[in-house]
Amino acid sequence: MEIVLAQIVNGFSLGSIYVLLVTGFNLMLLVARIIQFAYPQFVVLSMYASWAVLESTNNIFLAALAAIISSIILNLLSEPIFRRINNRENVDINASFVASMGLSMIIVEIMSHSINNGFPVSFPDYWGGKNLFSFGYINLGRGEFYALTGGIILVAIFFYLLYHTHYGRVFRAIAESRKTAKQVGLAVLKSSILSYLVAGILGGIIAILFSMLLGSASPWLGESVALKVLAVSITAGLGNLKGGLYVGLSLGILESLAVGFLAGSWANVIAFVLMLIVVLTKPEGLFGAAIE
Amino acid sequence: MSITFNYFIGFSFIYILMAWAIYLPYRVKDLHFLTVATMAVTAYFSGVAAVNWGWPFYLVLISGILLGALISYIISFVIGDVPTFTVVIVGITFIFITKTVIENTDYLGGTMGFFAIPAVDNILLIMTGITLVISYFLYMIDNSQLGRAASVIFADKKMAYSLGIKPKRIGRLFQTISGGIAGSAGVLYAYFTGSLFPDFFSFHLVGTLMTIVFIGGYSTMWGIIFSALILGGVPILLPSAVSSWKNLIYGVLLVSVILIKPDGLITKKFLWKIKNKIKGM
Repeated sequence: MEIVLAQIVNGFSLGSIYVLLVTGFNLMLLVARIIQFAYPQFVVLSMYASWAVLESTNNIFLAALAAIISSIILNLLSEPIFRRINNRENVDINASFVASMGLSMIIVEIMSHSINNGFPVSFPDYWGGKNLFSFGYINLGRGEFYALTGGIILVAIFFYLLYHTHYGRVFRAIAESRKTAKQVGLAVLKSSILSYLVAGILGGIIAILFSMLLGSASPWLGESVALKVLAVSITAGLGNLKGGLYVGLSLGILESLAVGFLAGSWANVIAFVLMLIVVLTKPEGLFGAAIE
Repeated sequence: MSITFNYFIGFSFIYILMAWAIYLPYRVKDLHFLTVATMAVTAYFSGVAAVNWGWPFYLVLISGILLGALISYIISFVIGDVPTFTVVIVGITFIFITKTVIENTDYLGGTMGFFAIPAVDNILLIMTGITLVISYFLYMIDNSQLGRAASVIFADKKMAYSLGIKPKRIGRLFQTISGGIAGSAGVLYAYFTGSLFPDFFSFHLVGTLMTIVFIGGYSTMWGIIFSALILGGVPILLPSAVSSWKNLIYGVLLVSVILIKPDGLITKKFLWKIKNKIKGM
């Protein structure tokens, strides 16, 4: 029983990260109308940025800042690419997916050739490795604690902004109908760029929390996370923010429970098989897709 | 022929077949990555059938094609007419599951790989023959009523329904044929290389195939031949210091093509122009 509890605690921490990633991914899908498959790669590259700063300065504030700034820059740099795709007469969302796959390939290759000779990087213990609380099998590390609390706080802030502020309402209006939003005079382009900025800030914080939770990063981390984020988004219903919250958290818990009882690679398969069953029986997702 | 040149030709054929397996369902806007999982299943099936059961090559080839088509046919019942990204995630999930099962099954060699698949005489000639047969088959589909119906579905699905076209039925048919093509590619790959490693059948292969399809052009089947030779085959001829950067080059090319020439380098319009020029000469 203690093992199950311990794994559930781990699952909540991991699930919080998935929720944040899916939220950023869905935000860009709804507002900027893109399938940003490279978003988790941007997060991993930002983890590398914070690692590089930690290695050279040992300053955690500068490292955190590096993660956020690099994530913002990466997201904003990708904006003109996707805007050009979306400005075409016949907007094809597949094109944004293919382009983001290309971006993803570029980032993986840069990380696997140029940073730390392609080897995975390890974050120092003071970054998130220390144990905060122990009870039997239940160990709560600083990384897990920050991921969990940070995740909850960030999601709460995000949803508050989305539902109780002017820009949040604009975002939701654009998500509902881009055409109508334009007709009633909402600044669609400005909001779209703003969504990249918000996703960038969110990505930077995810990079900090994720690196604290895992204690390491590798060039191939983003790829597996990207597949999970896409799977969670589709299982929940493409673009469904609340659905992403439930499914992301469930995936984290499920994965952690599977890790506790199965060999490493099978744990991921269990989660994917369950999501596959959902997708095959309910192709529009558990909570319904927010976009066609 | 040198071994390297042999590999260049052989891998080019495999990439052409696999890219066609992605191209055909994309005629109705399905990004059908299940083909990579199907290729893995049929490749390992070939290995086991040849090494452990002693089946002859042609029996394995026919069984592989049928097995690939059967897998896709069964799955197509569910994903025949679902949104594009549901098809994407089903494909990716199957790749992931197939790879994990292979890696954890000792009978299939696990992560160490499956070896000693017997060589077949004139394998390149057989590959040429199969590629020609499939190219003729695809050409016939493209230039039939079915191909025209697929073009309508690609352009406007609602319009297709209004015209009495059945997108689900055509989608399922294309997915099944695509599974058969991937099945043939899996068998040929197993016999050509003589050994199998689960790492080959990963998301990287999806990336390579997507690059081949989108750079060559997804509106006709001919661009793929050109891009498979350049992007799939040429890296084999290059020194490893250069070819190790191939994914970076693929990524840059993919983004550039989507931005500059989203239909790919060789389009239907481009082929018509060439045809008219030749006629005018």
